[in-house]
Amino acid sequence: MTGALAAWYDFRDLNGISREISEWVAGWGPDWLASFVTGLLGALGIIAIIGPTLLLLIWLERKIIARMQSRYGPNRVGPRGLLQPVADAMKLILKEELAPRAADKMIFLLPPILVFIPAILIWGVIPFGPNMQVADLNVGVLYFLAISSTTVLVVFMAGWASNNKYALFGAMRVIAMSISYEIPAVLALLTVVFFTGTLSVNGIVQWQQQNDVILLVILPMAAFTFLFASTAELNRTPIDISEAESEIVAGYHTEYSGMRFGLFYAVELANTLAISAFFATFFLGGWWLWGLDEWVPSWMILLAKTGAMYFVFIWLRGTLPRFRIDQLMSFCWKFLVPVGLLFVAVAAVERTLLIEEVWDATAALPVYAVVNIALTAATVAVYARLSGTPAQRLPSSPIMAQGRLGGLRAARELAQPLGGGD
Amino acid sequence: MTIALEEYLVVAAVLFGIGLYVALSKRNAIGVLMGIELMLNSVNLTLVAFSRFSESAVALSTQVFVVFIIAVAAAEVAVGLALAMVVYRNRHTVSIDEINLMKW
Amino acid sequence: MDSVGFHLAFWSLAAITVGGALMVIVSRNLIHAVIYLILSFIGVAGLFLTLSADFLALVQILIYVGAIAVLMLFAILLTPHAIRDNAETPMRYPAAILMGLVIAAGAFVALETDWGAMRDEAIPAQARVIGESLINHYVLPFEIGAVLLTAALVGAIALAREDEEDVPIHRDSLAQESLAQEAPGGLPEAAVAVAPPASGPAAGPSSPSAGGPSAGGGA
Repeated sequence: MTGALAAWYDFRDLNGISREISEWVAGWGPDWLASFVTGLLGALGIIAIIGPTLLLLIWLERKIIARMQSRYGPNRVGPRGLLQPVADAMKLILKEELAPRAADKMIFLLPPILVFIPAILIWGVIPFGPNMQVADLNVGVLYFLAISSTTVLVVFMAGWASNNKYALFGAMRVIAMSISYEIPAVLALLTVVFFTGTLSVNGIVQWQQQNDVILLVILPMAAFTFLFASTAELNRTPIDISEAESEIVAGYHTEYSGMRFGLFYAVELANTLAISAFFATFFLGGWWLWGLDEWVPSWMILLAKTGAMYFVFIWLRGTLPRFRIDQLMSFCWKFLVPVGLLFVAVAAVERTLLIEEVWDATAALPVYAVVNIALTAATVAVYARLSGTPAQRLPSSPIMAQGRLGGLRAARELAQPLGGGD
Repeated sequence: MTIALEEYLVVAAVLFGIGLYVALSKRNAIGVLMGIELMLNSVNLTLVAFSRFSESAVALSTQVFVVFIIAVAAAEVAVGLALAMVVYRNRHTVSIDEINLMKW
Repeated sequence: MDSVGFHLAFWSLAAITVGGALMVIVSRNLIHAVIYLILSFIGVAGLFLTLSADFLALVQILIYVGAIAVLMLFAILLTPHAIRDNAETPMRYPAAILMGLVIAAGAFVALETDWGAMRDEAIPAQARVIGESLINHYVLPFEIGAVLLTAALVGAIALAREDEEDVPIHRDSLAQESLAQEAPGGLPEAAVAVAPPASGPAAGPSSPSAGGPSAGGGA
């Protein structure tokens, strides 16, 4: 799997097809056309995958959330409600697209289109396999940070141009949150870069492959920080104060209707998927899984990990209530940033010990893992003690957990105590 | 015609001129800051162009210099905008024509 | 550097950069001007890429587009009753002459000087090389830069911070006064938080920014 070129029919490494095509183009055309065609193929492939995946994800999210809330979820359109997202999309397309009279027309119309650009661009550096990457930049991590920071501007344009106070509140909240949470995210990725010694995303996966370890165990605090900070930048439900419907209607896209709203919604899901893929790549080993990648196509492994991370995002959304903005800000500035700095120092020391060959990686990495996990637990415990919010006892027997499986089955058993499960 | 150093320098010169005009002529203090940013950008462009077309050692120090310029630009914008806000809070304007308390 | 693709990239990026900068001058609305400025920043980042300075291009996007431009938009929103028309002072005529002179001189120097042979390979792995030289050769400037950034951070916070007990008493009357000056149309609602959308085209797109300070203050 190390750099060997695949034949075009080898579906384990889709890079083969793209290489065949670009070589064919280079046979009769100029060089720049060949590289242009390769890039175009990568982009079209990504768009072609993301589009249908989004429809599936909408259905999955609604089903899983419904399951967590003891509901059925969509189950009318198509088998098991599978066609519900298609029906929703049709409805959105057919709806009239309104624009407020006092809106700033040019800036109002641009954001639903512009917001797609970073959402697609960000997929460019995700390695789906050893050779399957649209662009293996040697500054891939920086690319990820740069591209994801531009989304803020589009959101601001949408919120400001709407000429609506709720939209403006939402936009201001997005800016404040994103700028704040970018710092812990950068610190978290900095520890990752310290350990792997590379800014290339594929290099990070290869480091995990060579050392036979996923970074989640070595850098648990970085993983948690990245997860929390990216949730904040995605505006997903535990941290979605920028579009909190109980406070400010729908935030920055209050005034958008029809498919313009649909585009914002789709991009939000696409970004969540991209962040899941990046989390899987940075902390879960990407396309590598302890040798399984020799047998299973590597992109399937990455997609499986991405799906698992996406489930975690849905899970968080179904479980946690919304935070207040002051809680989020103080959590970012009073916990994540100082602790992130602390862990940058810790990672620097540990990495230096490795480089100076005080001990070799096979002996050191388990020790590092234990030390860092203990340190993470200690910081969380100390923060909980200092912030005056002791851990709360769970109710001893929550109603829904009485049934063996919880959820719908338990609800049904509660409704018919003698009927038993079906 | 090949694209070489000259083309980049001309683009940078045009950018610098525009930035200079914006910085000198705009009435809003934030507009003036925008002009300064444009000028800094054109300087960065010049330096990067020189680094592309010069010796390896020189190229490296040029790029490091660009990193410093970007850092200083970030600091300058933060302080400049904070100043604009202080002026706004005290005078309720950021128009540089009306900020004339120190004028005799 | 003379393939068709490279020409296409260079000329379109140069057009974006210069065009965005020109629109900063021409645009009558300050927020539009900032958005054109961002376009110009992105064009410069693209030009960095054509110069194979990928690290600097991404730093450019991360800092200029992701931070500086956002900071400017924030500052515009936090100065709600100030002028928004991006107008020029009477200094614009000498400034225009100066601009012409600077561009002419720069272009003349650029085109007339013999720049010698060009080196046709890029620095490999720029991030690594730049990082290593930052902590070897340039460690003192690096530290000074860090101190400068810290000082700027502290200074900006100290300047922009508003002490609750320090608020001047006549502030509200001042706000009313400047509002009355700004919008003779006289919308009393505008003083509360935000001009409602029904306030008509006269209030224009700059009116929602009146909600800025309350939102920012809450945040």
